[in-house]
Amino acid sequence: MSKMFTSAEKHLKSRHRAELRFRWMGRLAILFSLGFLTIMLFSIIMLGKGALNRAEIALPIDLSIEHVDPSDIEATSFSKLVRNALFEAFPEVTDRGERRRLLGLVSANAQYELKDQILETPSLLGQVQTLWLTASDDIDLYEKGEVDITLPQDQRRLKDLEISWLKTFEANGQLRSVFNKAFFTSGDSREPELAGILSALIGSILSLTICFVLSFPLGIMAAIYLEEFSKKSYWSDFIEVNINNLAAVPSIVFGLLGLSIFLGVFGLPRSSPLVGGMVLALMTLPTIIIASRAALRSVPGSIREAALGMGATQVQSTFHHVMPLAMPGMLTGSIVGMARALGETAPLLMIGMVAFIVDLPQGFTDAATTLPVQVFLWADSPERAFLEKTSAAILVLLSLLIVMNIAAIVLRKKFERRY
Amino acid sequence: MSKNTIITARDVNVFYGQKQALNGINLDVPRNKVTSLIGPSGCGKSTFLRSINRMNDLVDICRVEGEIKIEDKNIYDKDVDVVALRAHVGMVFQKPNPFPKSIFDNVIYGPKIHGMVKSKTDAEEIVEQSLRRAGLWSEVADRLDEPGTGLSGGQQQRLCIARAIAVKPSIILMDEPASALDPIATAVIEELIDELRQKYTIIIVTHSMQQAARVSQRTAFFHMGDLVEAGATKELFTSPQDERTQNYISGRIG
Repeated sequence: MSKMFTSAEKHLKSRHRAELRFRWMGRLAILFSLGFLTIMLFSIIMLGKGALNRAEIALPIDLSIEHVDPSDIEATSFSKLVRNALFEAFPEVTDRGERRRLLGLVSANAQYELKDQILETPSLLGQVQTLWLTASDDIDLYEKGEVDITLPQDQRRLKDLEISWLKTFEANGQLRSVFNKAFFTSGDSREPELAGILSALIGSILSLTICFVLSFPLGIMAAIYLEEFSKKSYWSDFIEVNINNLAAVPSIVFGLLGLSIFLGVFGLPRSSPLVGGMVLALMTLPTIIIASRAALRSVPGSIREAALGMGATQVQSTFHHVMPLAMPGMLTGSIVGMARALGETAPLLMIGMVAFIVDLPQGFTDAATTLPVQVFLWADSPERAFLEKTSAAILVLLSLLIVMNIAAIVLRKKFERRY
Repeated sequence: MSKNTIITARDVNVFYGQKQALNGINLDVPRNKVTSLIGPSGCGKSTFLRSINRMNDLVDICRVEGEIKIEDKNIYDKDVDVVALRAHVGMVFQKPNPFPKSIFDNVIYGPKIHGMVKSKTDAEEIVEQSLRRAGLWSEVADRLDEPGTGLSGGQQQRLCIARAIAVKPSIILMDEPASALDPIATAVIEELIDELRQKYTIIIVTHSMQQAARVSQRTAFFHMGDLVEAGATKELFTSPQDERTQNYISGRIG
């Protein structure tokens, strides 16, 4: 190498090494975060996949005329039918305590399932029919292999006696696992085997609708006014600082605000998606304003000059030229804000959306809960079977987030224009 | 004011906050001529140009004193509507800035917002006429629905000129219209400017003295916020009266 390069060469090696080091640190950082993400997703999926199935027990049920009157099905005691079927399956059980355990094999809902099946196909009546009924949550866990039967009997909920009955059922093919449709079609329940997420999902969708309808137009209007129309002054600086601060306010504070204003002063219905959406809108507004302002700022000034230079008014310039170009950024910002609102629990606790909701909410003023609150409620429940429900609910929440983010990308691509 | 003068500027002072950018400018601009404003960077020539269609209004801290009369009407009077003013005084910018819309929509936008379009045939007529005057028709006639941003730089600038003349202004302001273009595109634009002077009064800011000499009949030389000298282009370049003009055109300042 010629003398010319020697002065630079002195540090060249260490400079290259520093560069290589930095590149590898970056790659490692990405690898680590990807790794943790994978572990998280994997564990949630493993925990939650069980919720897709539930155990059912087949019982021969005597539907002869002496037990069920075909002309007055409603008058039948279906719980008695289920009870008799179980007692007949194990006639040797006579002890009161043991008999109660025997009845606990099927879900508390079994009698209503039986009624529904009969109402659906009245031709079942008149003889003994073998019908599938939902098993209780402990049986469900056993069927999925999640009960450790090697533990001493006093350390598990399922005793040896019940396991022996189940073994009999298994041997006779009277125990099976089916797709748990109820998880997606019903509301919450105290019984884990009956609990579903539909009511929480509807609550989330209703709340987000209100949140979007309120915060999107308000947010982009505020952003457009601040960015395109207002003159720089002490007040505009003051407002800007405060909007940035609001975006960083803990969400539970917005919940308190909603509690005292929306519920306390306006007297709006407690636990309703209406109030929930309003609180979430308060929380989302600053995010949308900040994102929309950034999007507006990224539109080149030459477009405004072009429009104004040919005699467009400020409003025409903004709405004909600037806003269409800023739209992809505004939409992305808003959807990111919405996604945050979707995952929010704390402010909703303050306005009573932490309710136990069995019925599906019919409108914006019905009592409702949301997906993250449902996760919180189930995670708080003592029954072990709620563990898989919790994870499954988290998976539903994550899927919804993914759908929203894909929507953001698609909208961005659709509205994006070159300039 | 003589019949041949369209713009008269009297004692125009422009301030950006505390800083004075133009000091008492007095200038007459003749009708249907090309007037070029030359001078070193930061001399105030663009500021003056932007005072003529009040684009300076957009800058919050900008303040204009004095009067600029167009056809005997002071455009800084309270009763002047800037929207109408800018329809009357078109502008072409340094960097070609077509809207990210089709060529057709680019040209028709101005006439549309000013209510000059009654029917579809009207629109087609305006677009064709404007593009013809801007010397672009033959190149884009068969692709009017393609985006204006897809044209070459020179074509984009001519599209911007077509867009400006579509509104039927009497004055066109050009802020270094060829500085972002290659020599061939520049030559086309310069030729176009010479043709446009039949119908419009043109004021052009330029960095290039050769360009000023080629396209303009009158030239005004600005230096540090002062209008140093203004006169017929030929005379200004051959026998400048002021020492600063002499220095600038001989390349000693700027």
